[in-house]
Amino acid sequence: MKMIRAIVRPDKAEEVVDALAESGYVALTKLDVIGRGKQKGIQVDEIYYDELPKVMLMLVSESENTSGIIQIINDTAFTGNFGDGKVFVSPVDEAYTVRTRSKGL
Amino acid sequence: MKEITAIIRPNKINTTKKVLDTLGFPAMTAQRVLGRGKQKAIIGEVTMDIDKTKLHEKEGTMRYIPKRMLTLLVSDQDVSLVVEAIMRVNQTGQKGDGRIFVSPIEEAIRVRTGENGDKAIT
Repeated sequence: MKMIRAIVRPDKAEEVVDALAESGYVALTKLDVIGRGKQKGIQVDEIYYDELPKVMLMLVSESENTSGIIQIINDTAFTGNFGDGKVFVSPVDEAYTVRTRSKGL
Repeated sequence: MKEITAIIRPNKINTTKKVLDTLGFPAMTAQRVLGRGKQKAIIGEVTMDIDKTKLHEKEGTMRYIPKRMLTLLVSDQDVSLVVEAIMRVNQTGQKGDGRIFVSPIEEAIRVRTGENGDKAIT
């Protein structure tokens, strides 16, 4: 299993969630986060924004589905400008459902 | 070392903390998050009295459900104990009890002393 954490633009988050739900990946967790990237924030006229609001989407899936999910996120969150976000994939050893106390997704 | 990420109901956080504290795992990070899964309403989580039959018939259309996400780092041999404790406290049998994920962690460092590895998390 893999955990996918995608940091996307707040205005693109709902589009990404809808696209994932259409492909059958309904369950996910959404966090509001603040971050910055290689451009060290953004300069708008005279105001300099050091940290920018983003939305982090977190979902866990079977390893063979990860490339499909990443493709969906990349396609829907893309605008071509700086600040589109990043996707991180990390390993997950075990998953449990609390309601049934069963192992697995 | 393993990282245990548990997404649970917000109203279970206090009992979960208390139980983990008595077991000797007081350190954790808690975050308010929004989640979506099978649960579509929070009628089962309000504090006032609700007709029990309504819990089953009410499907709901909420897009996101407020949840708490706990993150705690434990050494390999404690994983099953902590997972079992969290599951026992949080199981209600209704949809929306949450998920627990266990993932490997390569390194941990305590900032105050510079200790690393298992020493940093105990």
